[in-house]
Amino acid sequence: MRGLKYRIRFEKREKISTLRVLLVTLLCVALALVFCGIIIAATGFEPLKVYREMFLKSFLSQKGFQKMLTASLPLIFCSLGVALAFRMNLNNIGAEGQYAIGVIAGGAFVFYGPHIEGFPGILLLALCCFLGGALWASIAAIPKALWNVNESITTLLMNYIALEILTYLCLGPWKMSGQNVAQTERIPEGLDLPELHVFGFDISVGIIIGIIAAVIIYIVYKHTTGGYELNVISHSTKSAEYAGMNIKRNVILVLAVSGGLAGLGGFAQYSGVTHRIMEGMPNGVGYTAIVVAYLSRLNPLVVVIVSLLFVGLQNSTVYVQIMGVSVRIASMMQGAIMLFVIAGEFFQRYRIIVTGKEVAAE
Amino acid sequence: MKKKILSLLLAAVMAVSLAACGGSSAATQAKEEPAAAEAADSTAAEKKDVKDLVIAEVHYSVVEDGGWAQAMHEGLLRACDELGVDTEKNLLTVENIAEEDTALVESTVDTLVDSGADIIFGCSAGYATIFAEIQPKYPDVIFAQQGNDVYDNIVEMQIRGYEGEFLAGYLCALMNEESDQLGFEASMDEASVRTALNAYALGAKYANPNATVQVIWADSWYDLDIEAANAEALINNGIKYMGMEASSPAVPQKCEEKGAYCIGYNIDMEANAPGAVLTSFCWNWTPIMKDIIQKTADGTIKISDNYYEGGECSKLAPFNDALVPAEIQDKVNELKSKLESGEVVVYAGELKDDKGNVLVAEGETMDDEVILAQEFFVDNVIGGKN
Repeated sequence: MRGLKYRIRFEKREKISTLRVLLVTLLCVALALVFCGIIIAATGFEPLKVYREMFLKSFLSQKGFQKMLTASLPLIFCSLGVALAFRMNLNNIGAEGQYAIGVIAGGAFVFYGPHIEGFPGILLLALCCFLGGALWASIAAIPKALWNVNESITTLLMNYIALEILTYLCLGPWKMSGQNVAQTERIPEGLDLPELHVFGFDISVGIIIGIIAAVIIYIVYKHTTGGYELNVISHSTKSAEYAGMNIKRNVILVLAVSGGLAGLGGFAQYSGVTHRIMEGMPNGVGYTAIVVAYLSRLNPLVVVIVSLLFVGLQNSTVYVQIMGVSVRIASMMQGAIMLFVIAGEFFQRYRIIVTGKEVAAE
Repeated sequence: MKKKILSLLLAAVMAVSLAACGGSSAATQAKEEPAAAEAADSTAAEKKDVKDLVIAEVHYSVVEDGGWAQAMHEGLLRACDELGVDTEKNLLTVENIAEEDTALVESTVDTLVDSGADIIFGCSAGYATIFAEIQPKYPDVIFAQQGNDVYDNIVEMQIRGYEGEFLAGYLCALMNEESDQLGFEASMDEASVRTALNAYALGAKYANPNATVQVIWADSWYDLDIEAANAEALINNGIKYMGMEASSPAVPQKCEEKGAYCIGYNIDMEANAPGAVLTSFCWNWTPIMKDIIQKTADGTIKISDNYYEGGECSKLAPFNDALVPAEIQDKVNELKSKLESGEVVVYAGELKDDKGNVLVAEGETMDDEVILAQEFFVDNVIGGKN
């Protein structure tokens, strides 16, 4: 008897069209909805009714859109930061900690710095948060640049340290008096990020700064020598060295700016939404940012849109729960949609090639 | 070219969504804020049938967490049942709302109000500041929040957990005939945790003046491994009876494995470790929640109201008859009625801290404010953080 032995291998696709990406992604979302629909129906709810409620209220209503805008602030900045580092093949897993230290640096300015409010105060607060995040990232960036210490590990481990410091401050010296909650006093209202009222929406200035940051990063990539250098280094460090580019400087610079952006995420949340520092404030946003960066294919403009969609999906679990659907199913839907989209991404980036070879069998 | 198609598509999506919401733009959140003084005194205007009330609860975890959230949720279910509220129809439960995610909490409240909620129960202390800040936007809704009395525009509720913990320490010290040493597994060094620990130690001292309580800290609100390791460390140091302020059943299970005994926490944990749990300290929110719901229906509730209740709210679960002898059960019940009658006061003088300072002089009792924000460890606690 003779049989066929199959070998499966994955081959990276060279060019993928944007339209194709969009269509495949939509298809993946649809597949995820079919999958979840079966489970929703099994628990006694009508899937179509649940989806209608979920999408209309979360994405296609004015309130839903407003909530999406407000909730997306920290995620946009953290994802921009992570995407920037990933562009240069630097695995910054530490946005969570850089966010935390950014907030702490901001808090230090609010509690111990000069009492400046209004525009200059907000600017200084933002600067402190940026520097805090950048400094924290530099602690991992410098060993990476000088001795090639794996930044995935250092940035990740430093998250735990940062969060411990945050917890210590919120339960200890910075704790608001009079109640048993690990959070600080409110910042003076003069340090609140202002909101603009456009077309019936309250748009935080933070969103606008986020979009401007995304555009600047995009332009740097496409149209500056610095962006060109990043591009070369990310493809081949050897070629970059031959061309006389300073790789060490670029590694430190990119990781520091990446951390600084995560710190700005902390600033946007601190000054724009919570107005106070809380224990566990980054709340996983630094990790979600990794997924967002990946799905956005590291394109800063796409990061903004994917971040918005992501928080919209998160907000939608509340609507689903109010319909009586279990929170477990609501969270599962969120996870399933993500998983299907990420799986779809994989098949878009890689082509599966199956080769058969005739072999003798016993 | 492809890029253009993408941007066109996006523009189209935006246009559709803008058009879709254009019609409902008038329904945006009301911006007028009532004067603060008026808000503090105002009561819900009209009388409603309690069966018509829509009640909402917001939790930071799932309600079957085997701990805090479950105690709150079950307390609310019992309150609804006793008042005849149809929980299928009129109880909105929202879970997994992180306290740190202010935007999500605000959006959840807004959605609940849109769904007709008359009362929103905030089932974790972290919602308090957010609720208090957004309350003026929703003047017709009663916010009932677990926490100390800090704000004038939300109803706050807290349980005198130290009463139950006092009984727990008393029980352990009575059981612990061969030694003076008791143990305690604590989570984070924070006022509410210290309250539980100190009350446990004071209860032990009430039974045995030489009793000491060795505390070990998890430095985490929830960590199965550390909690189990701490319980083991206590047991290895010869401790046989321990209390806990921990959210998981790790301590009871470790005790059962090693032949030690403990007091469950948050909910009745006997089922988790029937060979180790003597009884459990349970938060019973039903009486408070029932009162809030009924008063909201009657229109007699004040948004500045505050509850700080002991007695039935701060109780022990039924004793584990296989482990706790009847005469000890009787003694604990006797002390319980003495607490209720005021004959015995937990934080009464003379009370010293672990550095020898007098906290409360002989014949005096501690103020609620000091109890709620306690920054001390009583003198028979060993291992307090200072």
